[in-house]
This record gives sequence, structure tokens and C-alpha cells, in this order.
Amino acid sequence: MRPALPAPSERRHLNLAWLGALALLALGLLLGARAESVYRAQAARAAGVQAEILAASVTAALAFDDRPAMREYVDALRANRRIAAAGVYDSEGRPLVTYARSPAAPPPAQLGAAGAHYRGGGAEVTVPVSEQGLTMGGVYLRTEPEPFGDVLGRHGALALLTLMAFLMLGLVTRAAAQLQRRAGELAQANERLTVEMRERARAEEALRQSQKMEALGQLTGGIAHDFNNLLQVVQGAFELIRRKPDDAARVGAWAENGLQAAERGASLTRQLLAFSRAQKLELRPFIVAELVDEMRELITRSLGSDIELVFDLDHERVRVLSDRTQLELAVLNMAINARDAMPEGGRLTIATRVVEIAQGHPVLPPDTYVELSVSDTGAGMAPEVAERAFDPFFTTKGVGKGTGLGLSQVYGVARQAGGAAQIESAPGQGTTVRLLLRRSAADADAPATAPAAPGTVLAPAGGATILVVDDDGEVRNLVRDTLELLGYRVLTADGGHAALDLLDQTRPDLVLMDFAMPNMNGAEAAGLARQKWSGLPIIFASGYADTAAVESALGGQPVILRKPFEMDELARVVAEALPA
Amino acid sequence: MGAAAQPLEYAVKAAFLTKFAAFVSWPGGAAPPVRICVVGDDPFGTALEAAAGGAAVVRRMTVADRGAGCHVLYAAGSSRQSVAQTLAAVRGAPVLTVTDAARGPARGVIHFVVFQDRVRFHIDAGQAAQGGLTISSKLLALGLSVKR
Repeated sequence: MRPALPAPSERRHLNLAWLGALALLALGLLLGARAESVYRAQAARAAGVQAEILAASVTAALAFDDRPAMREYVDALRANRRIAAAGVYDSEGRPLVTYARSPAAPPPAQLGAAGAHYRGGGAEVTVPVSEQGLTMGGVYLRTEPEPFGDVLGRHGALALLTLMAFLMLGLVTRAAAQLQRRAGELAQANERLTVEMRERARAEEALRQSQKMEALGQLTGGIAHDFNNLLQVVQGAFELIRRKPDDAARVGAWAENGLQAAERGASLTRQLLAFSRAQKLELRPFIVAELVDEMRELITRSLGSDIELVFDLDHERVRVLSDRTQLELAVLNMAINARDAMPEGGRLTIATRVVEIAQGHPVLPPDTYVELSVSDTGAGMAPEVAERAFDPFFTTKGVGKGTGLGLSQVYGVARQAGGAAQIESAPGQGTTVRLLLRRSAADADAPATAPAAPGTVLAPAGGATILVVDDDGEVRNLVRDTLELLGYRVLTADGGHAALDLLDQTRPDLVLMDFAMPNMNGAEAAGLARQKWSGLPIIFASGYADTAAVESALGGQPVILRKPFEMDELARVVAEALPA
Repeated sequence: MGAAAQPLEYAVKAAFLTKFAAFVSWPGGAAPPVRICVVGDDPFGTALEAAAGGAAVVRRMTVADRGAGCHVLYAAGSSRQSVAQTLAAVRGAPVLTVTDAARGPARGVIHFVVFQDRVRFHIDAGQAAQGGLTISSKLLALGLSVKR
């Protein structure tokens, strides 16, 4: 924290405080001055009364020049210690009898005009002496200056109050300034924290993605093997068709085999792509059994044939709140661990069931939970290994076989979903990992709308013109042949630039655009095309479309045709996208 | 002793004569100006007029006259009328009679003496009351003696 200048508002506060202090001081002085003047008037009046009494007493003595009598009256004043000096004067103003408590300050040698003054801390009074209109002379009286202690006593209370008010004002101002400074510091700290949280969120996102990629990497062997099998079927089917093209009945059967294998491959890649897509963490309610069921293909394909897979899923449709992709990854991680624990083959059981946790559970609050368990019949673990299995970077696998983050991710998902993860294992007894996921309190999602039943739609060829853009010549030609078979007129371009050149000359009724292309991707090309022809219908055909990029380029919900697609699906999507 | 021998003493007495009226009240009140009468041989000369200023009127007479309207009467005495005779002439009248030890032993309401080199006086309040006069306590306080 650098000692900065006070913030503007802080300075305003200080100015206010100064104003307040000055006002307080002025008020204090004013009250003090008023009290002082009232006191002086009172003191002068009191002295005046004394002088009047003296004047009345000495009237006759003055008239008949009786000095001893005068002296007697004046000396009587000695008893009053507050009287500093007194004197009796004849009608010419000459002193006859005088008295001074201190010789240094005698009464005046000549009596002045009648009146009362306050001078040098004491009152000074001159009163004429007369009887029945006859002026005999005058008396003079001066009181002692007020002792400092008395002055202090008179003004002390007010001064003390003012001082206290000053102190309070100072304290309050100081506290306010401090509070403001603290608030500023807090705001800065909060800002730093926000930045750090954002950075952390980004790092976590990157970690999640890399974890998914790691899991996929571990699955690669199995998937590649599976793809080889599928390709083997397709390749074999085509070879048989080439050798015996005339045997119509058997060609049909071979083609059917090949198509089925290709369909299985497509389903597998769709799952892989969906899984590996970079996504933000998104907590939503869903049914665990459904998620596992949808992963059945991927798991089956990736584990290899040595392992018997058993799915034992519940049908109670209890939803949990979690991130789908993270839970998929957790299932994959557990499946990979199970596979690695059974190099000689074995049985892998993935089960879900609904359990009630009662009061008294050491970790979990009582509620309904969905238990997801993955069990293997492998080597099992020693207790000390099982104990550390959820720790990050703890692994028993060799270098390059795993990062040790798999089960740690599983644990993280369970905690995030308000649940827990536990591991049961013993050497030679296999391993079971259980995830307990708390039931979602949120309302169940509206059931996903079922995809439109793929009917066999063969477009009534309206003679519409379709521009096909794809950098892959094989795919481009296949799509062109298919669309021409359906009765459309087809133009082709091998990339974004060629497509835009074509669009300079003609406006097709529809554009079918590949997404991933060198130089200019589909989203960019589509954006530029829309600048030429606004409202031009565009369909994206891609196995890997960045939906967000397309959305921002075109606005609205883009029509995306996932590769590989079937002829019927292509016909249906094109027919729907064409203007009526 | 003659007037010229003691001019200061008579100047003081003259001043006193002009001031007595301020401490005495007459029955029915005295309408100003105060009339001061000197009966007999006048010892003051012009001192009395000087002391009176414009505040009092001075009349001189050889014998006392009850009808002269005197407020203050200084009985100096003469060959025609002694001090005692003068006092007898105005007894019972509302007149403040003043006598002087220097001029004989007879005493009026006020009787001048010289005491410790200063002019002082005795007061006879009883005699004043016979004339209906009231003397202020302030004046009574200054008397060398006060006779009730």
C-alpha cells in the first residue's frame, strides 16, 4: 500500500472537518465573549452600588468637611478585599480622603466625569455626591482585577467543552478517514482477488481440458483397434462388391454390413468429439444412469475384448447436479483404471443405484444420493495405496502411463456434486470406486426434445441451386453427386475465397459449408457471404464445428449438419433450409 | 476676635450655613431658594454670599423677625439684641437656629465650636422638633453631640 494522497472524497471530509472546527471555535469565542461582557456589566454594576453606598454615607461629612468621618467611611472599605482603591473628592474634584490597597495604584489626583468603566480587569466607578440638588463632591471606587483563577473558573467550563468537542471532531474525522482508506484498500484487494479468481478459473479450465485429453490418450489404443475392426468390415464389404458387382442380392447384404460398420464408427467419433470439445464447467441436473448408458458404446469400444462389461443401471430417474462432461470423464477415468488393473482380462461392472443417507453419516448430510460404482476383478490395492489413491499426482503406473490425476478428478467431481467418493479394495480382491452424488434440489430439466424421426425424405427436386464448399475433393464430389441425385443444381468451391468469387457472379439458393478449412474457416466465409447476400441460407457440414464462432459470425442459431451424415439426413436438412 | 482675624474660620462657617438646609426638612417643605438670615453683627462679610452662590438668599437684620421667612438663622448677637434674646424671639418657629461658641454660650439647634482646629458643631434635635424641623440622620452623625 503506497501512502497515496487522500482521495478526493477524503479531502472533502477533511475540509468539512476543518469548517466544523472553525465554526466550533467561533461559537466558543462568541459565547465566551458574551459571558465576559455580561460578567463585566455585572461587576461594574456591583462596583457602582458600592460607590453609591459610599457616596450616601459621606454626603454630610463631605458637606461639612469632616475628614475623620470620611476617613472612617473609606476605611470601612478595607474589609472588602475586592476594592483596590477608593477616594472622596470635593466639588472641585480634589481628593480629600483616599485609600489604595496597593500604593502603586492610587486613586486619581483629579476626579473624572461620573460613570462606570471596566478597565484592566477591574471596574472603575465615579459617582457624584449630592443632597437635595446640592452637589458636595464625588467618590471614586476601583475594584481589584479578577484573579486569574476566577477567570479560569468562569470560562473553564466552556473552554473545556469546546476542547472536548474539538477532540471528538478530530477523532471522528480520523476514524472516518481511516474507514475510507480501509474501504479503498478492501476494494483493491477485492479487485486483485477477482483477477486471481479469473486466472484460476482459466487455469482450471485448461486443466480440465488437459485431463480429458489425457483420458482420451489413454483410450487411443483401444479406439484405434476398434476403428481398425470397423474399417476392416467396410473395406472387406467394398472389396467383395468390386469382385462380384453383379450378384445383386449379396451386394446388398455386403453394402448393409459396410454401412452398419460405418454407422458404428460415426457414433463413436461423435461421442469422442463431443467429449473432447472445450466447454465451460456447467452445473445442470441430469440422470446418471442415462449418462452412463449414452457412454456404453465409447466404453465398450475403448476397453478391448478381453474385458467383460456389465452395466447395472437404475431406472429411478433421480437427478444430480453436476457437469456432464466432468462426470463422463470421471466414468472414463474409473474405466481406464479398471482396465489397467486387469491386463489379463476380467469383468468390469458399472452400476448406479439410489441410496438414502441417514443422519449420522461422517461426511454427508442426510438426503437421497445416487451411487455410481465401478468395480473390477483386477489385482486390487494394498490399504496404504488405496488410502492415497485420491491424492493428486499419486500413481502406481509407470512413467508415461498416467499422470496420477485420474482419481483425483473423480474425487473432485463427487465433492462438487455435493457428495463423496470412496474406494474399496484389497490385494487380489479387485477394486470398487463409489461415487455418491447428492440429489439435485433444482427442478428437473424439461425432457430433451426428441430428435425429429428421420423419415426417408427424398426432396422433391425444385431445381434449386446449391453451392457446396469443402476443401476435401472426395467429400465435395460425394455431396455434389448426392444432391444432383436428389434433383438439385450444384455449384462447388474448394475453399472460402473460391466460394466468395463465385458468389460475386451468382446468388445460389443455399450454401452448404464445411467448417474446418485452411486459410478461411467456414464461419468467416459465411460472414463474408452474408455481407454479399443478406439472408442467404447457409448450412454448416462439419464433424467439429465451433458453434460459438458460427453463432457470432452469423447471429442466431446456425443449422449444423454433423459429419458423417446419411443421404436422407442431408436431403431433409437441405429441404428444410431452402426458402419455401 | 474680629472677622478679619479669622477669615478662614468664617468662610468655613459660611459654607456650612449654606449646606445645612440640604439635611433639614421644614414642615410643609421649604420653597427654594433657601433664605439665610444673619441677625446682629455680621462676621462674614462677603463670604456668605460667596458660599451661597445662587442657591440661597442672604438677609441681614439687626433684630429677629418671625415674619421674615428665614429658613436658617445665624444669631450673631449685637448690642440691640443678644443671642439669647434672638433665640427667644423665634422659639417655636420653623427656623433652623445656628449659634456660635465664639459669640456666646447660648445654643440654638446648631452650635458651632472649633474642635481640634476644625469647625464642628453640636446639634439640639429637641429644640429643632419644637420648631417642627426634622434633621437628617446624616447630619446628626456629624454632630459633636446631639441633644434629643
